[in-house]
Amino acid sequence: MHEVSLVRSILNTLEEQFSPEELQQLKQIDLQIGIFANVEPLLMQNAFEAVKETDGRYRQVVLHIESLPIKIYCEDCGVSSLVENYVFVCSRCKKPSNQLIQGTELLIKRVHFDD
Amino acid sequence: MVDKSTKAARGTVLCDNANMNLLKANDFVAESIRKKMAEMGILLLNITSSAGSGKTTLLQETGKRLKEEFKIKILVGDLETERDAERLREVGVEALQIVTGGICHLEGQMIVQAMDAIDLDGVDILIIENVGNLVCPASFDLGEDYRVTLLASTEGDDKPKKYPRMFFTSDLVLISKSDLLPHLPFSVEAAIQDVRDVNPEIEVFPVSSLTGEGIDKWCNWLREKAIAKRKSTTASV
Ligand SMILES: Nc1nc2c(ncn2[C@@H]2O[C@H](COP(=O)(O)OP(=O)(O)OP(=O)(O)O)[C@@H](O)[C@H]2O)c(=O)[nH]1
Ligand SMILES: [Mg+2]
Ligand SMILES: [Zn+2]
Repeated sequence: MHEVSLVRSILNTLEEQFSPEELQQLKQIDLQIGIFANVEPLLMQNAFEAVKETDGRYRQVVLHIESLPIKIYCEDCGVSSLVENYVFVCSRCKKPSNQLIQGTELLIKRVHFDD
Repeated sequence: MVDKSTKAARGTVLCDNANMNLLKANDFVAESIRKKMAEMGILLLNITSSAGSGKTTLLQETGKRLKEEFKIKILVGDLETERDAERLREVGVEALQIVTGGICHLEGQMIVQAMDAIDLDGVDILIIENVGNLVCPASFDLGEDYRVTLLASTEGDDKPKKYPRMFFTSDLVLISKSDLLPHLPFSVEAAIQDVRDVNPEIEVFPVSSLTGEGIDKWCNWLREKAIAKRKSTTASV
């Protein structure tokens, strides 16, 4: 979707948290993106490359994306299960559930700096 | 979010729960819209679909039938043109176009600005026609009471599995252009099954703005929700 604005928003978040000197040492950004977040990892990588082109400060930075599967919680069983093929049923009792507990994340999990 | 230490950042820094600002900010705005609509007793709907699935035509029909009974206003998101708002005004419904200038979805902030530009006094139902696209609008809460998604018979019945987030977040799915069903390989049963895989309890029914099939049912649904919304507000005052 709006991958370029997401990339900008990641960098803005980091710029709020770290000084320009620190960001010069930035090496890698680890993202966690739920597969229900409607964000394509590949498009995100492309958007990041495009932003790097126009903003020289991040030329040395690698973007690492971990995809998170969808998980739901079943109140009856008290268990969470993975959603496969977008069928939202409890893996144990097969009852439908729409209690999402994972899958819509758009998280900056870690950032790595040069030592 | 990040542990702000006094030392310069080195090595690996964990950023727990650093949700990207873009969506966090939108959720905040959406909540403020929801609060305002609750106070005013206005039913707010967000209508989504792929491009050209019949949103504006359905809203024209809806306006024609319900405008004497309810005060309805419509906000229409569109990439570039004013056309949809004009089509709605032609049938006597007040409509404001939100031209997104190429942005593929509406965000809460755009709705807040549009609401400032119209008079909400006495309005019963405010309808947002979202940009025609099943991907991006799914992630942006606009503070709506209900999200209604149109799936046109001309689109193919595999859409729910291709765009699950939209169907997961919807409260009602209308299979639009149902008059064309006899000519198309679209299976209503298969589409309903796929929608319910993603969203088990959701109501799904066919509508046609051309023949009127399902339009009364849709208007009744809307009437019931609008009356309930008004009651919930007068009850809490
Ligand atoms: N056969 C048939 N055609 C319809 C029906 N509803 C809409 N159409 C046609 O479908 C086309 C698109 O309809 P719109 O109402 O403009 O669709 P939309 O979802 O508002 O389109 P965008 O705002 O561009 O995403 C028009 O040519 C309509 O005449 C219907 O119920 N049956
Ligand atoms: Mg339209
Ligand atoms: Zn269960």
